[in-house]
This record gives sequence, C-alpha cells and structure tokens, in this order.
Amino acid sequence: MRETFLQSLHQAYTNFVSEFAEFVPHFLVMLIIIVIGFGVALALKYILRTILRLTRLDRVSEEAGASRVLRMAHLPSMTELLSRSLFWVTWFGFILVGLSVLGVASLQEQISRLLRFLPEVFIAILILFLGVAIANFVSRAALLAAVNAGYSSARILSWAIRFVIWILAITMTLEELGVAKQTVISAFSIIFGATMLGLAIAFGLGGQDMARRFLDRYAGGPKNEERDKEPQPL
Amino acid sequence: MAEETFLTDDLLRQLMSVGEVDLLVGISTQVDARALSQAVQAIEQSFQQNFVRQRIVIVLMDGGIKDGDGAITAEPSNVQEKKVRVPGITALRTIHRVTVNFANPPTPGIALRTILAVADLLRAKACAVVSPASSHLTADSIGHLLGSVYREKYDFVAPLYTRHKYQGLLMRNLLYPMSRAVFGCGIREVFPSEWGFSGRLATHCLNQDVWHEEAIRKQPEAWMVLTADVADYRCCQVYLGEKIPPPQATATDIVDVLRQTVGALFWCLETMQPFWLERDHVQTVPTFGPAHQLTSEPTAMDRHRIFEMFRSGVTDLEPILNSILDPETHAEIKSIVSMEEGKFRYKSDLWVRTLYDFAASYHHSVITRDHLVQALAPLYRGMTYSFLMEHADSSTAEIEAANEMLCGEFELQKPYLREKWKAKVEVKS
Repeated sequence: MRETFLQSLHQAYTNFVSEFAEFVPHFLVMLIIIVIGFGVALALKYILRTILRLTRLDRVSEEAGASRVLRMAHLPSMTELLSRSLFWVTWFGFILVGLSVLGVASLQEQISRLLRFLPEVFIAILILFLGVAIANFVSRAALLAAVNAGYSSARILSWAIRFVIWILAITMTLEELGVAKQTVISAFSIIFGATMLGLAIAFGLGGQDMARRFLDRYAGGPKNEERDKEPQPL
Repeated sequence: MAEETFLTDDLLRQLMSVGEVDLLVGISTQVDARALSQAVQAIEQSFQQNFVRQRIVIVLMDGGIKDGDGAITAEPSNVQEKKVRVPGITALRTIHRVTVNFANPPTPGIALRTILAVADLLRAKACAVVSPASSHLTADSIGHLLGSVYREKYDFVAPLYTRHKYQGLLMRNLLYPMSRAVFGCGIREVFPSEWGFSGRLATHCLNQDVWHEEAIRKQPEAWMVLTADVADYRCCQVYLGEKIPPPQATATDIVDVLRQTVGALFWCLETMQPFWLERDHVQTVPTFGPAHQLTSEPTAMDRHRIFEMFRSGVTDLEPILNSILDPETHAEIKSIVSMEEGKFRYKSDLWVRTLYDFAASYHHSVITRDHLVQALAPLYRGMTYSFLMEHADSSTAEIEAANEMLCGEFELQKPYLREKWKAKVEVKS
C-alpha cells in the first residue's frame, strides 16, 4: 500500500518534472515570441505613425469632420488611433501565436479562429470610421447648401442624411463581423425603406409647395425672385 | 518654354503668321455672339482711334459661342467679319485675329494662361484682357487700359468704375479692404473684369507654377493683381465709366461668388504668406480719371429676407462656425443675432475679426476649405443687411468715408490675423 502510494507519487513527480521540463522551453518560446511581437508591433506603430504624419492624415480627417467625432468620443487623433490599433492588432496576433506554442489543445482552435477574425475586425473598424467621416462630410455639405438656399429645415435634413449614412456604416460593420447577418440586413432594409418612404410621403404630401419651389429653381423653372433681391456682390 | 506644353500646333501656326506685335487684346468667347461682336467692334474702333501705327492682335478663345438661348451657334472667326471704319482714320497695320480652339469652354484660368503664353511668344509690349459680358466696354476704356501700359509704361492697369451705392458690396466690404490691409495693395478692383498688363508681367506670371491650382483655374484675376503688387511691378488704376450690373435673369448665386472670390483671396493669403506676414505699409497706386464713384438711385431689395437668412444661418451653422471662429467672436455674433431687426448692426471690428478668423481657419484647414467659404455666406448677408440699414440715407461721400474707416479697421487688426495665422490649431470639441 505504502509502496504503491510512493510509486504513484514518484510517477506523478516524474510526470510533472518531464511535463515541466517540456513546458518551460515552450513557455520561454512563448515569452520570446511575445517580446519580439511587442518590438515588431512597436516598430510598425512608429512606422505607420510617421507615414500618416507625412501624408497629413490628421488634416484630412479634420477637414472631413472625423476628428471632431473622435474628440467627442474622447479618442485620440486619427493618426494616433490607427497606429495604436495596428500596434494592438499586431501584438495581439503575436500573443496568440505565442499561446499556440504552449500546445494547449483546447486553446488551439480558439486561437486559430481568433487569428482568422483579426483582419475582419480591422476592416470593420476601418468601415466604421470611413462611414463616420463620410456621414460628417456629406451632412455638413447638405447643411451648408440648405442654409444658403434658405430652407427652414436645414438641420433636420442634415441630421437625416447623417443618420442614414451611420445606419449604413453600422450595418456594413456588423455584416463584416458576421454578427446576426440576416437580422442586421433585414433591420437595415426595413429602417432604410421606411425612412425613404416616410420622406417621400412627407415631401410629396406635406411639402408640395416646397417641392414645387425646389423644382422651379433647379429644373429650369422661373428664377427665384427672393434670391435676386440681394445686392450685386461684385 | 512652359507654353510648348499646352499650345496647339494650329495656334502656333497662326502665331507664326502674325509675327511680333505691339499690342494684344485677349477676349473670352463665353458669351452670346452679339456681345462678342460688340466687343470686337469696340476693340477695333479703339485701335483705329488710338493705335494707328502699332502692330496688333486680338486673341479669341473658342469654346463655342452661344446665342441668346444658350445654344452654340458659331465660331469666333465667323463673328463680326465686317471691319470697323472710323471716319477720317485709317489703320496703317492689319489687325490680326487669332482663334484658340478648345473642345469645351475654357475656364478663366486656362483662358488667361493661353493669353499670357501668346503675349509672351509674340513679344507683345502692352496687353489687355476684356470680358465681352461687360456691357460697359467701349473703345475709350480699351484705349485707357492699353495706353497706360504702352505709353505710360505701367505694368498693371486696374479699372475703376462708377457703381450704385448698393452694388459691389462684397468688393467694398471684404475684398478691397482685406487685400489692402493684408497685402498693402491699394488696387480697388482685385477681381477686375478687364485689365491691362505689360509683356514682362505676362512672362513673369506665365512662369509661375500655379496654373494647375483650382483657385487659379476658376478665378485668376486677384492672383495676377496681387502678383503684380508683390513683385513690385508698376501698377495704376484708370477710370472706365459705369459698371453695369448683369440683368436680373442672370443674377449670381452669392455662394458661388464667395467661392470664386473669397476662396481665391484666401488661397493668395496661403501662397503669398512670406510676403504679407512681413509687410506693414499700404502701397499707394496712381489713379487716372475720377476716383471710385457711386450713384444712389432707389433700388428694390428684400432686406427682411437677407436678415432672416443671416439669423437662421448663424443658428443652423453653429457647430461649423464654432470650429471656425474664435470663441469670443462667435459669442459676439450669437449675441447680435438676437437683436431686433431694426436695431441690428454688424460692427466693423467684429466683421474684421470674423474674416480674419475665417482666413486663419482656412490656413489651418479646420474643415474642408470649400465648406469653410460656404459658411461665410450667412455672415456676409448679415454684414450686407447692416450696411443697407446703416447707409439707407447716406450720401456717397459718407459711404466712402465709412469704407475708408473699415479699411483702417482691417489694417489696425492685422496683428490679430498674424497671431491667429501663426498659432497652432486649437482643438475644439
């Protein structure tokens, strides 16, 4: 009894020592991969930051209005955000590769799935930010055009345009991530269709006069006299 | 040579048959055939009256001439075939005509560059660019423009006009005082529809690397005026008579005008900053004929509508104006929005700070530059309304005095522009 117990204990100890001896190099390799990954990620971050600063991305982002949204969300500048994103995506990728070296069977499949998912996350983030930038740019252009044409509901029009583009961008982002694909597409179709139908009915029935004025001005009708009643600027 | 890259073989053949010239008049054909015909008559009449012995060429831009309904009807070479004869005077030289063909109507920048290249190749001594759309174009006015360059040896001749006191408010309240204060340029018409220049200024302008710029393609006049001033060419102004506004049917959209003029002026600020940041004095420009004249016949305008567009514009564009204007300037503008319509005044110091904030924000590209210029439209309407209220009963002398005070305010606040211009972009949330 005592001998069996000691044998089992010895066996367990031997197993532990051999597994530990096998684990330590793997663990060290993992640490090395993570440390190298950190260095590579850091280098890529600085390279991307330099390139983006040289190409003046922040100025473009400022002009498009995306920086404003970032500031409202207490996020750093576009250059900083993209370079930091690249750093984390790269380092996270190296961490996953490092973990896979440990050879934990249950982790292997999850890690490879995560690795496949990373580019999609990056593309999804890109789509979202492009969507925000485009929404800001187009809604601002619409607001300026409507205000300078003297429309009374300029802000509503601008917000409607921004809302529609945001919905489109969010839908595309979720679709890219594969989150509830069918539901998202159906929801988008319903919201988009309902909004357009609502606007068409509102414009057609509620805004007949406005529609007539609009067509008069832009489809070859008589000139708007109100605009002509301003002094000649030059 | 720069011109080798864009002048066509056909044009070069025409120029070779003309040879060297003394005088050149460039004329855009983006008008109806009747206006073009009248302009050509005026030019030929001017040559026969004032420049009998000189070698002369008229350069026509052909992007298709329109009839009264806007349809393309004829080529410029077919327009106005009959020669003008001034009784008792016979020109001793042939008046050459050169037609530059374009597939589409050329932009003002392309048209000007072509005229400059032709002037450079033909070694013209005095040149003028005229717009047939100007119904005030006469033989005398062309004679004044060319004569000041050819005989008085000026390098740039700007026009001066008689205007209605409510006409040209953008010129009077923004373009002239700002260009005068910032660049020290005493030329009143920084966006002339016709002007004269010397061959050496033509060559200088032609050799500048700006012709691909959007601002130059659309509206190159201010750039040429300021280039002449900056490069110390001899400039003068000549009185050309009354500036007749376009008919009501062709009334221009204020946003388009702001894009073309204020956008071009801000672009000049950007590209010529080493010059104006250092300059503090205003260059006086010799003036021939009466100075700027004003008339004051009654005119119909919807003042209430202008004020409402200012008020709603400032309210609706608040987030955009917030990113462009200094917080103090923005707060003051918001406070005057709530004033009663009858008591409303856009004070000159606030107007100047508004424009300097816009110029600095244009420099720092706080938003898309085109959007920035568009955002100025409601504020310009506010200033216009204030001017109309303030000067409803003012005499022309009082208006001129007020304009001089506004110019002084622009000059006084130039350090504010310098400070804003050099400051780092402020982050506003």
